[in-house]
This record gives sequence, structure tokens and C-alpha cells, in this order.
Amino acid sequence: MEFVDLQQKGQKEKVTYDYLINATGPKLAFDMTEGLNPGTNKAYSVCTYSHAEHAWHALDDLIQQMKKGKKAKILIGTGHAKSTCQGAAFEYILNVEQELRRHKVRQMAEIVWISNEPKLGDFGMDGMLLSYGSNIMKSNEMVEMVFEDRGIKWILGAGVNKIEDGVAHFENLEGEFKSETYDFAMLIPAFSGHGFKAYDKEEKDITDKLFKGFMIVDADYTPKSYEEWSVQDWPETYQNPSYKNIFAPGIAFAPPHAISKPRVSKNGTAISPAPPRTGMPSGITAKLVADNIIDTIKGKKELHHKGSLGNMGAACIASAGYGMTQGSGISITTYPIVPDYKKYPDTQGRQLKKTFGEIGLAGHWLKLALHYAFLYKAKMRPFWWLIPE
Amino acid sequence: MTQRISKSKRFFMMNPIIQFFKFIWLSLKILVIVAGGHGGTRNAS
Repeated sequence: MEFVDLQQKGQKEKVTYDYLINATGPKLAFDMTEGLNPGTNKAYSVCTYSHAEHAWHALDDLIQQMKKGKKAKILIGTGHAKSTCQGAAFEYILNVEQELRRHKVRQMAEIVWISNEPKLGDFGMDGMLLSYGSNIMKSNEMVEMVFEDRGIKWILGAGVNKIEDGVAHFENLEGEFKSETYDFAMLIPAFSGHGFKAYDKEEKDITDKLFKGFMIVDADYTPKSYEEWSVQDWPETYQNPSYKNIFAPGIAFAPPHAISKPRVSKNGTAISPAPPRTGMPSGITAKLVADNIIDTIKGKKELHHKGSLGNMGAACIASAGYGMTQGSGISITTYPIVPDYKKYPDTQGRQLKKTFGEIGLAGHWLKLALHYAFLYKAKMRPFWWLIPE
Repeated sequence: MTQRISKSKRFFMMNPIIQFFKFIWLSLKILVIVAGGHGGTRNAS
């Protein structure tokens, strides 16, 4: 391993291990989109704290200019044809819209959502049918309602391939090459593996047994068509099949395939979201990997703790503006994350009781409460382990 | 901008008293989903 922190930068060290958990998360692959680099070409990111802080300073500058009469166009969404994490961009666009209202400059801005999703509300999960109050609606209808209500325009099926100063170039599913100008953009990059090379103790290259971009685990990687995909393809223990003491929970594992239906443009360019694994699934899979290692150390032969994304629920509370009385949040839960079309054939692969959407002030309070709860948990304060992932 | 959320619905969404009860209900409902367990799929009956 090579140190990257300032004090020991460049120093190399060999570390032996009995168990290895690869929980690196993704590499933010800005280099996969020409010209997309946070802070250049008026395009920003919110994928790290420093990126988000940088983006806020740029947005704040623009707000000040808008107060002086400048009309501005704000572009938010995905910055690559195969990006994931649409939820983060969705949350950000609603917060930006609310922030413009708070500064009383909303009428000066045109806000545009640009995404590789085929429909609004796909979120890389093939969309969902959800219960909303006493109604049942599709996620695209719910997001469309929110965007229209807030005056946000949208461009879908867009694979952004080049960024120039204030211009995003993209190809759409119709195979048309278009561009969109902007004064401020926040675009989520493609995520990729870190490009690790792996060697055994005899210095033999074992990269092929461990990595396929991300780390190979107990998934079924047999190439299949969308119609043949099943929840059984998804990993349960996140254990590498060749090296039983190596695990990759969270976004570090190589998914067997996407969740959304793959789509290609008329020119053959793949434009569809990659599967999301961040947030709650990362926490759950990391915990079950730790529990399995504990069991193995205690002498158990089998891995009893399992957590497939096809048998796991997830909750996403998207902040849509803050303030104890003015805030809003869009709460969406889904069960399971990967739709099980055999088990739930009439509800688009999801259990409706556990797949619902809610909009309102309560969602904001809940987001705030979770924020403090997770910080409490991270600090391992008394009874931290009672707080779920 | 097209008004897609009615005034009465918006009042319901933003009224702190109504939303306080919604907050409790939502917390419990999400807790059931989040802490409600997970498992494998290959040997599921």
C-alpha cells in the first residue's frame, strides 16, 4: 500500500491480513467525461464535502449576480451516460430551487434537470410503483408532479459526453447530438472501480480473480438479457469466490448487471443508469460482512448472514429545502431494492406496503433526525448499535 | 410553473401540527422497513 496523506505521501508499506474488507466506495470518474472537472467550466460536484462547499460558493456568487438582475440557467443531473446516484442530484436540484426562493431570485432562474434516466423517477432502480396517500402512482408521476409544481424543466435519456465553458454536450436516446448552455451546473460523474492491481504472496498477478472494475463477489455474472435477469443474480454475502477471506460490501462490489432496463441510442451508445448501492444498502452489507467474519473466527464454516439487494428494503429521504417550518422532504421507501418480478408480478416487482412516497415537512424533520442519529452512531455513543443502518 | 399540488394538499404538507403526527407515523413506518430484516434470495422458499 502507498500512503496518500500529506505527512507520509508516497511511502510504501506491506500489511499482512487474515481478512480483507474492500470498502473503498467508488472512484469518482470525472475523467470519463471530457471537460468535467469540479470547479472548471462552471460545472461542479457535490460528491465530497469539499466539492459541495466549492459548489455552494459558486452558486452563492451566481445568486448575488441574480440579485443585481442577471438571468441565469442552472443545469443539474448526471454528467455521464452511465452515471448512477440520481437521488443525490434530485435532492440537490430541489434544494437549489428552494434556496433561490429563499433569496427571492427564483424568477430570475431557469432550472433544468438533465439525466441518463429514460423516465423521471427511475433512480437507477427501474422506477417503481408506490403508494402515495390512498393512491398508487408511478415514481415518474410523483417526480413529474414535484418538478412541474416547482417549475423545473427536464431532459431525459441524455448521455453527457463533453463539457465546455457553460455548455454541456450530450447524445440522447434518439441518437441526436445536442448541447445545453448553463451558468451553473452540478453533474454527477460516472463511478468506477479504483483500478487496483492484486498480487498473491508469490507476486503472481491475481487481478482477474478479484476485480471486474469493481470487486468480484458471490453474484452471478453470466451475461443475460434484461428479460432473464433475476434477484438470484445479486450477491448475498459479498465474499470473493476465489479468496474466501476477501469481501466487498457497499458500492465496492461488482454488480451482476444494472437494475434499470439497459437502453442504447440509435448510434449504439449505452445511455442508462448504473445500479445504486450507496446509503442504506452499504451500511447493511458492511454489517453482515462483519458478522460473517466474526462467525468464521469463532469457527463456523457457513456464512449465515445474508443480505441480497433483492431481499432488502431501502429508505431515501430527499431533502427538498430546509427550515423547521418551511422545510420539506420527499420520503421514498422501496422493498426490495432490486425488483422481484416473480414474487410481486402485479406491482412492478415491489411490495406496495413497503414501497411508498410522502412529501412534506415531516420528511424534512425525519432527514434532520437521521442526520443527528447517524452522527451519534458514527461516534459510537451509548447504545449507538440500536440505531439501524 | 404549473400548480400540481393543490392549496389544501400544500396546507396538509406544511402544517406543523399535522406534520408532527405524520413525523411519528413516518418514523415508525420507515423503521419497520429499515430494521425489518433482510436475507438471501437463492434458498428462499
